[in-house]
Parts: sequence; structure tokens; C-alpha cells
Amino acid sequence: MSVRGCVAVVGVEYSKLAAQLKARVALAACVVGPFAFAAAMKAQSSVPEDTLFGRSVKESGFAVPLVVLGFAALWVFPVLASLVGGDVFSAEDRYGTWKTVLTRSRSRSEVFAGKVVTALGFSLLLVSVLALSSVAAGVLLIGSQPLISLSGVLLAPPHALTRVVLAWTTVVLPTCGLTAVAVLLSIATRSSVAGVGLPLIASLLMQLYAFVDGPEVIRQALITSAFGAWHGLLAEPPYYGPLVRGSMVSGVYLAICVLIAYRSLRQRDFAG
Amino acid sequence: MRRNRLPRSLIVIAAAATSCCGSSPITSARIEQSIEPTFANLVRVQVSWLKMPPMDASEFQVTASCRRQLSGSDAGAGDWVCTLRWQSPDFQTLRDTFDLFVTTDGCYTATAAGESLGGPRLRLSDGTEVRNLLYAFEGCFDTT
Repeated sequence: MSVRGCVAVVGVEYSKLAAQLKARVALAACVVGPFAFAAAMKAQSSVPEDTLFGRSVKESGFAVPLVVLGFAALWVFPVLASLVGGDVFSAEDRYGTWKTVLTRSRSRSEVFAGKVVTALGFSLLLVSVLALSSVAAGVLLIGSQPLISLSGVLLAPPHALTRVVLAWTTVVLPTCGLTAVAVLLSIATRSSVAGVGLPLIASLLMQLYAFVDGPEVIRQALITSAFGAWHGLLAEPPYYGPLVRGSMVSGVYLAICVLIAYRSLRQRDFAG
Repeated sequence: MRRNRLPRSLIVIAAAATSCCGSSPITSARIEQSIEPTFANLVRVQVSWLKMPPMDASEFQVTASCRRQLSGSDAGAGDWVCTLRWQSPDFQTLRDTFDLFVTTDGCYTATAAGESLGGPRLRLSDGTEVRNLLYAFEGCFDTT
């Protein structure tokens, strides 16, 4: 397996993605969504009181990306993670193109690595675009007023911006972990419906568990709990326990899913 | 031999899950330690919004006493009630009760149970309106 080979596969995959409607729609939604939300907040008198920072959303533009972050954890991140991850391998099954792909000059490992890098890269692209867009929407439409933290402390605008950026950074690893779950399901089921749908259902079930007051050790082992680890960064003094645990859990999901997916693809018989 | 391995490991995991984690990390001590400084900090911000002389958060001497609404257990997510004793900016000792909803990830929303702290919005002397920070607020604490 060579790096050049992987880069070549990534290039091909990205040119395929660029031609797909769903990729463009997802990117556009990540750009437009936060602006639509901020504009709606500006126009209407009520605020989303049941979300963290919902009450502050008209007072400080920095609350907007945090409300979007809290809301996106419910189902937006699972959708973004599985959109390409759950389809990048099974699309070859759908079109019956595995034999064509594997008889080219790239090895099976290179094809695997290239496709995984594409899926992870696209998930991260969508998350970054959503983050940038929601910060821009908040600052441009609401303003850059100081933000009241989760400990009641007033954070000056530069300080608030730093915390917001850090909070968004914490979802990178769990998003990668979920993408890896989607990749594994895409390979294992050979179906894009399962590859995209099952991670979504799994993460909704995991979040349902968080409403039930079950054993804490199970809640912390669920990858969706890592999407809420940013709360500690907005407290005074900040606490990092959930973040450390969430990152470890996400890393384990990522490593195990990629490993099983790789073995599964290596052992698969395409000749039949 | 190999056939026995899976059930045995499942039993070990189940035993570990029930023994180490039978009690929820959402305890009155954690909630009280979180709501006391949060409330004091919010009073400090509110005082500055109301254009009163600035005060330090520690001057409000907030002490909280929280208990779970559901009888029978003293830990867990759900509805809690906290009574906060604190010193107002004009040095009177006040007692205010808050209804809390605490989620399993250690975040809570506190809503004032009475009208003693005013409604959701306050009118300033110059006619402008601000949100009453003490009427409803949120906070989070470490559950690990």
C-alpha cells in the first residue's frame, strides 16, 4: 500500500462526490441552516428555552453556534457522518463496480484507505462548514455581545469566541467515530440504506438511553454522549472529565470499526 | 472450554456494571456545588445590568440545599428542588426556591418557584427591558 495510491483513490472519490446532488445539498444546508435559524431567532419573540444557551440567543451572537451545536448533536451529526460513510463502499455494490475497481492498478488496501479518508474528510468538511456558518450567522445577525457561561460568568467576546471554537472542535472525534460505524455497516451490509440508516437509528437509540436514568457506565460508553462533552468547556472553571472520556470512547469506536471493516473487505470474495 | 468464554465474560461485565455504577453521579452535593457559584455569578451580572454598585460574587454568600423530588432515592436525573439562602445587595438574607430539571449528562435548568425574584423580564429605570437572569438559568457540572 502506498501513500500515492491512497491519494489517487481519494482524488477519484472526491470527484465522484462533487458530482453527487446529496453532497452539494448537504454542504448548502450546512451553510444556509444556521443563518435561517439566526434570522428566525431575530424575527420572533420566543427563544428555544429547552436548549442550553437558548435563553441567551437574542442577547449574544455567540450563543447561536452553541444552540446549533446542542441541536446538531441530536441528529444532524449522525446524518452528516453517515451520509458519505454509509454509502462510499456499498455504492460499488449498488452499481456492481467492485470488479472494475479492484482490477485497476490500486490494491484493495489502497482502495479501502482512500475511501475511508474520503468519508472522514467529507464528514469533517461538513462539520467545519456548519461551525463556521453558525459562528458567522451569530456574529453577523445577532452581534458579538459578551456571553453568559454555564457558570453565570460573563465572557468577553474574544474569550467567548475561543470557547465556542473549542466546543465545536470537541465534536470532531465523535463525528469520525460515527463515520467509521457507517463505513463498517456499509461494508458489512453492502447496502447504502443500511449504511446511512442504521447509524442514524443507533445514535437515536443511544440518545434515548440518555433520557433513561440507567447505569452511568453505559451512558459514557455511548458515542453520542461525547457530543455533549463540550459543556465542561463553557463552565467556570472548565472541567474536562466528560471530554477525556468521550474522546477515548470515540477513538475506540473509530479504531475498532475501521479495523473490522478492513478485515471484512480484505476477506470478501469478489470473484463469485 | 471456548464455548464457556462468552457467557462468563458477559457475567463479569454485568457484575461490573451493577456493582460500580449502581448509584447515579447526579447527587445533591454535586448540584449544590454547582448552583451556588452559578447563582452568585448571575446575581453579580444582574447587579451590573441594573446599574447598581458592583459587588463580588462571594459577597452574596449563597448556600444551596437540594433534594430530589422523587422520594426513595437521593441521587439521579430528573426533578430536583433547591432552596438558596443568600444575601441580597442591600444585605438582607433571602431564601428562594428553585425547581430544577437535571439531565443525565449533568446539566440543569433552574426556574424560580415563586415570584419573589420578579418575572422573566425586568424593566430598568431608563425604560429598557432585560432578561431576569435569576428567574430561569442553566448550568452544568462534571459527572465523571
